[in-house]
Amino acid sequence: MDRLTDFLGALGGLMSFATLFHVTWSTLLGIFVGSLPGLTATMGVALLTTLTYTLDRDAAILVLICMYVGAIYGGSRSAILLNIPGTPASAATALDGFPLAQRGEAGYAMALATAGSALGTIVGIVLLVLLAPPLGEAALGFGSFEFFWLAVFGIVISGQLTAGGSPLKGYIAGILGLMVAMVGSDGIHAHVRFSFGVSELNGGIGLIPAMVGAFGFAEVLTVMWQRRAQVASVQTGSGRSLPRLSDLWRYKGTIGRSGVIGTLVGIIPGVGEDIGAWASYALARRLSPERAEFGKGSREGLTAAETGNSAVVPGALIPALTLAVPGSAPAAVLIAALFIHGVRPGPMIMLEQPQFIYSIAAMLLLATIAIAVFGLSLTRFFVMVMRVPREYLMPVVFTLCLIGPYALTQRVFDIWVMVAFGILGFVLRRMDYPMPPLVLGIILGDLLDKNLRRGLTLSDGDLSPFFTRPISAAFAVLIALTIAASIPGVRRMLARLFPRRRLAGSSPRGGSQ
Amino acid sequence: MSPKAQRADRLTAAVLLALGLAFLAGGAMMDRLEIRHIHPASIPGLVPMFLGAILALCAVLLLLGARGPASETDAQNALDVSTPNLWITLGLTLVYALGLVGRVPFTPATAVFIACFVAVFTWPAERDGRERLMTLGRSAVYGLALALVVSTLFRDGFLVRLP
Repeated sequence: MDRLTDFLGALGGLMSFATLFHVTWSTLLGIFVGSLPGLTATMGVALLTTLTYTLDRDAAILVLICMYVGAIYGGSRSAILLNIPGTPASAATALDGFPLAQRGEAGYAMALATAGSALGTIVGIVLLVLLAPPLGEAALGFGSFEFFWLAVFGIVISGQLTAGGSPLKGYIAGILGLMVAMVGSDGIHAHVRFSFGVSELNGGIGLIPAMVGAFGFAEVLTVMWQRRAQVASVQTGSGRSLPRLSDLWRYKGTIGRSGVIGTLVGIIPGVGEDIGAWASYALARRLSPERAEFGKGSREGLTAAETGNSAVVPGALIPALTLAVPGSAPAAVLIAALFIHGVRPGPMIMLEQPQFIYSIAAMLLLATIAIAVFGLSLTRFFVMVMRVPREYLMPVVFTLCLIGPYALTQRVFDIWVMVAFGILGFVLRRMDYPMPPLVLGIILGDLLDKNLRRGLTLSDGDLSPFFTRPISAAFAVLIALTIAASIPGVRRMLARLFPRRRLAGSSPRGGSQ
Repeated sequence: MSPKAQRADRLTAAVLLALGLAFLAGGAMMDRLEIRHIHPASIPGLVPMFLGAILALCAVLLLLGARGPASETDAQNALDVSTPNLWITLGLTLVYALGLVGRVPFTPATAVFIACFVAVFTWPAERDGRERLMTLGRSAVYGLALALVVSTLFRDGFLVRLP
């Protein structure tokens, strides 16, 4: 009851004309970004972060959350109409959304996607309000040993789940991210490492230029490298454009289950929306009486995928707010933005700003209402948006990639960092190295470094507390099992023990959201 | 895995192995700060050493995984891509980011970049002089307009001193 009161109080505090204005433009921009293949949620949030320096704290965070929610939802538009996921989070949506559009039900598919997204986010918001405060309080009991393992766990699980066929490549991407975090002054003795005499490196490599490069510039290169996509001819805007309540009621179990799965996937560090969508889709398919319809235009499949990916958004914010460990790539940018705007995410948040979590939940609810309203009313407008030629869009995106990080520090050096990470990101992606673990490594590097050395200092060089304290031991076992499960021999053995049907369509692949 | 992917993995493994060993050596040779009497377990090079060793191990595993006969052909893995487009994009973006920005005022540099980008990628194939002139004109107007919008937004809206 107290939580509901706190939540309603936070919602009431946001009710102003300025707030509604910010919600409107940033959600619309988010849907625009998400619906354009080549512009991702991470890129949108990172670029918009650089435009929020002059806004006050609450307005800036509200704008970024609306962009995040809008972009994840917007990806469903192009997935349904063009069979091209606007963001990787919508890859599962395309499996059933596009066949529905081909049958002349594009409008209804988009309505279902909108309803699924809105309901998924609401399930996530409820779990955020329920889980974040106790998790934050539990995190107050974490010491150096637990935080070290938390950082390792984040890298390992993210590497494992986002690397598609080869978890090893996910681990390598994570280690590379951790190495990037080693550049600059160390967090304990302020000793400068790996700067090679370049004074700009003394403070380390900035997260925003690195992320804008890895997700923005790399995406520009990828989009221009690919040949022009063949736009399928579907009767856009055809069919009913409001979801039937009977359909939503029929799929209430799928919606609830996908919402919970999506949120739980969001809580896992650095995994992200695409895995949430695939996990929800796979389970819905397994449990559905209409299993044969999946992949051929199943309304239930579409609803499950969209509910799952949208529920990841609040889920990803749970560890981001309470542990300062992002649940997804866009959440990683949000953490950086929170620091820029004077909020310190982490275990202390429940002591320093206990109301802030409820403010975030209220912001998410406003963004959800906005995607529902715009999603159902502006179908034709967003179809038009998708016709912007890439030749006109990409140079503007690159210009924003360049000036955004520069605006933060006003150093030309950050432009070079962005370019370097863009090329590195493009090359790594071409060779199937996932980007989320790399970004997570950059973020968690300092946490891992400081807590390993601090823990060893506390134990006078003794490693045993890392394995004997209950939470540390649990993390260590979990990490060992995760790594063991990625060894081909063990995987084959597990596959024999737990045989399962393969999904129709493409396999889940981690991508940049 | 196709032969091309195997070659790429072998090359990457070699680079990562070198990087891992370099990090390991860099961490080992890093100042131990004895002069400040810090605890030996908190030396700045500890984690870099640890990361270097792990990366070197992963590189060896990657190398081992890229051995043996290929399970797919290169044709099976071929993507529908345009390499010239990639090089043109890379060339234009690098000239703009590393060559023009910081040396030429931001607004004209951006206008030139956007106009060139649009003109190159929308250049008509047929030798119609009027059509080509139209393309150039359209690109120039678009580039200038966007450069002015972005510059004004950052300079006057966000108070950024443009490069």
